Amino acid sequence: MSGSSSAPHVVIVGGGGTGGALAHDLVLRGLRVTLVERGELTSGTTGRHHGLLHCGARYAVKDRESAVECIEENRILRAIAPGSFELNDGLFVAITDEDAAYEPLFFESCLASGIPARRVGRAEALRLEPNLNPELRCAVQVPDGTMDAMRMPLRFFATAKLNGATIKPYTEAVAMTMRAGAGRAVAGVEVLDRASGARYEIGADLVVNAGGPWAEKIAALAGVEVPIQPSPGVLVAVRGRYANMVINRLHASGDGDIVVPQREISVIGTSSWLADDPDHLTVPADHVAKMISEGSAMIPALASAAVRATWSAARPLIGERGATSGRELSRTFKCFDHAPEGVEGFVTISGGKATTLRAMAEAAADVVCAKLGIEAACRTREYVLSPHTAYYA
Amino acid sequence: MSEQSVSPEPIDPGSSWASRRRRGIAGWGDPRGRRLGGWAFILNRLTGLGVLLYLSFHLVVLSLLARGPSAWDGFVSLAGSPIFLCFDVVLIFGLLFHGLNGIRVTLVGFGLVVDRQRAMLVALMVIGAIALVVAALHIFAAG
Amino acid sequence: MSAGIDPARDTHATEGTGVPIRFRVYRRKAGDRAGHFDEFALEVAPDTTVLDALVAIRTRLDPTLMLRHSCFHASCGTCGMRVNDAEVMACVTKVLDLGTPRVKVEPIANGALLGDLATDMVDFYARLAAIGRALVRNSEWLPSSELPPGIEAHNRYESCIECGLCLSACPVVATDARYLGPAALAAAERAIGEPRGLDPGFILNLIDDPQGAWRCHAAFECTEACPSEVDPAGAIMALRRRAAGARLRSIIRRRT
Repeated sequence: MSGSSSAPHVVIVGGGGTGGALAHDLVLRGLRVTLVERGELTSGTTGRHHGLLHCGARYAVKDRESAVECIEENRILRAIAPGSFELNDGLFVAITDEDAAYEPLFFESCLASGIPARRVGRAEALRLEPNLNPELRCAVQVPDGTMDAMRMPLRFFATAKLNGATIKPYTEAVAMTMRAGAGRAVAGVEVLDRASGARYEIGADLVVNAGGPWAEKIAALAGVEVPIQPSPGVLVAVRGRYANMVINRLHASGDGDIVVPQREISVIGTSSWLADDPDHLTVPADHVAKMISEGSAMIPALASAAVRATWSAARPLIGERGATSGRELSRTFKCFDHAPEGVEGFVTISGGKATTLRAMAEAAADVVCAKLGIEAACRTREYVLSPHTAYYA
Repeated sequence: MSEQSVSPEPIDPGSSWASRRRRGIAGWGDPRGRRLGGWAFILNRLTGLGVLLYLSFHLVVLSLLARGPSAWDGFVSLAGSPIFLCFDVVLIFGLLFHGLNGIRVTLVGFGLVVDRQRAMLVALMVIGAIALVVAALHIFAAG
Repeated sequence: MSAGIDPARDTHATEGTGVPIRFRVYRRKAGDRAGHFDEFALEVAPDTTVLDALVAIRTRLDPTLMLRHSCFHASCGTCGMRVNDAEVMACVTKVLDLGTPRVKVEPIANGALLGDLATDMVDFYARLAAIGRALVRNSEWLPSSELPPGIEAHNRYESCIECGLCLSACPVVATDARYLGPAALAAAERAIGEPRGLDPGFILNLIDDPQGAWRCHAAFECTEACPSEVDPAGAIMALRRRAAGARLRSIIRRRT
């Protein structure tokens, strides 16, 4: 299944969900793949999110492209990673009259985006989820789910590894080696093995930057710029599971408007601000308080629940520097081929959200194959992934 | 799902989990971070060994009977000394602990009282402590 | 930007708070004959966790420090460590809750090291491999709530987050490499209780073994160490009940 020794060798820098899914995709297309990650797999942004298996409803009104992407990937993930999700659907809950007034537009937008939605009256909503705020006006049921933010992406790594990819955590990319001769072309990645302290070079026909919010730092190693800004948000996990379904606030968009149940905890998210350095994320007190107050508007019991953890995670947002609100930037992912900027052999994939990892990988793999002159169709829509435990086999 | 092997395979002692960082028996001597149940585990082993050693010693002592009154009388006078009485108290501690904790391990091993096993351990130790004090008083009063 | 809220005022700050802490961190790289401790000084805020401190050490003071982490809320199970000799998840252990300005951090015990604080989990998963790991189970939360149309049964992830703290705390695992261990046995009990496609008879047979459920000596350190309320010791005792019952029944059947 792994590429023959004459197949091109792609090095992926970044061991988050996107990197893992890309390794999986490229190996199935017959390429040789090495992935390097400076820490534990998914230790960047991927592992930190609340675990929502997005159905796209949150984007149905304002960002149709994202919504359509999401529901399609939601369906694909359920098929290729069976047994990796808590599948209890989700509710968008209207708490105020303002929310209720937004409901018709929201519901129609869901249907227009291909998101199966069902209107739920107040009484039924409280029967489905007795811990909801009894002041609620109405709700909409959508196919949300919960994923284990680390273990679900780990299935991509496991499958890629079984099919011949080389996965190297604790291996940090410290420089790009350029090919001698005319023009600037990346010929390999110089890495530092954190376990042994050894420094060595991994030769590559193409290097893919899948660094998430660290993509700018990695691009700088190749002497290029990417317009990616870390946009952190705070999340709060409380002890106790107050709902079986994912609970969302039925409004345009705002802080603390989702409560994702996982195992025996509930995760409330999230907020957003713009940061410069993904290695220095703060956890502002005001944001933590906002999560709890917004979350308890939907589920009152959250206000007195014991807090298990508070933390921040940085989204990689694509857009122009200087934007004042992270939330208004496009949520679509983008693939940047840096050849027009004068550097060959280097491609950046960034943006997006956890649910669209496979689609991001497909797009990146298409670009990679086009650049390398490989004709190979993507097989990841149907290929059922190995269990996450297989990574350690 | 996972491969179904016919018989359970033991984890290879040479493989990575097994080797290098197992705390081993040396870990028994380290009191840091240990919780109540861990102490019970270690003491059960130590008292078990201790009582076994005592049994051997006891048999040796009894064999002195075969050697006549002077050998036996020599031992009896030694047996009244304060040091020996202290050893007796230690012995009784060992027997009490091993027996009482043994009750807990037996019950728990049959799946009984599992959810309150910690409380049971504490209760048994309290009973044991009282019995030990009573025994010690008797031993030193009589001797 | 979340309107009008100051992103500063960091509840998890690791500098500038005026509360100094000394961290002694275990270090060992591939090829080192033995480990040693490095000392680092940081300041912490009330909510700063041991993991925050370690990440700050790696970012600001020593980028060679290896550690595992991912979710920051004790659901991925990767940041298990021994902090001041107790098995904990570093991401939910607040430094100030430890009650001392001297914090010792070591990797979980009874495992092989990738380096520093990062454990190689290969054998943890080897133990699980024979049992199988269904990962998702029926949810027992809010049984009174109605099922939404399209959902056949409420479901959730099993509580076990594969952190290895139970194996670190178990005195039997410390001395016997062949013991299946609390995590795998607890998984076996859950699998027999709710098979989800696995073969409960096969699993029961597997654990009914001197190195399976019978190897435990009731120290219950695993249950105390577990951050996820799995109660592996209770599961092991339940397995013994099942195994003993099955044997009794087979004896009776042979007689009749």
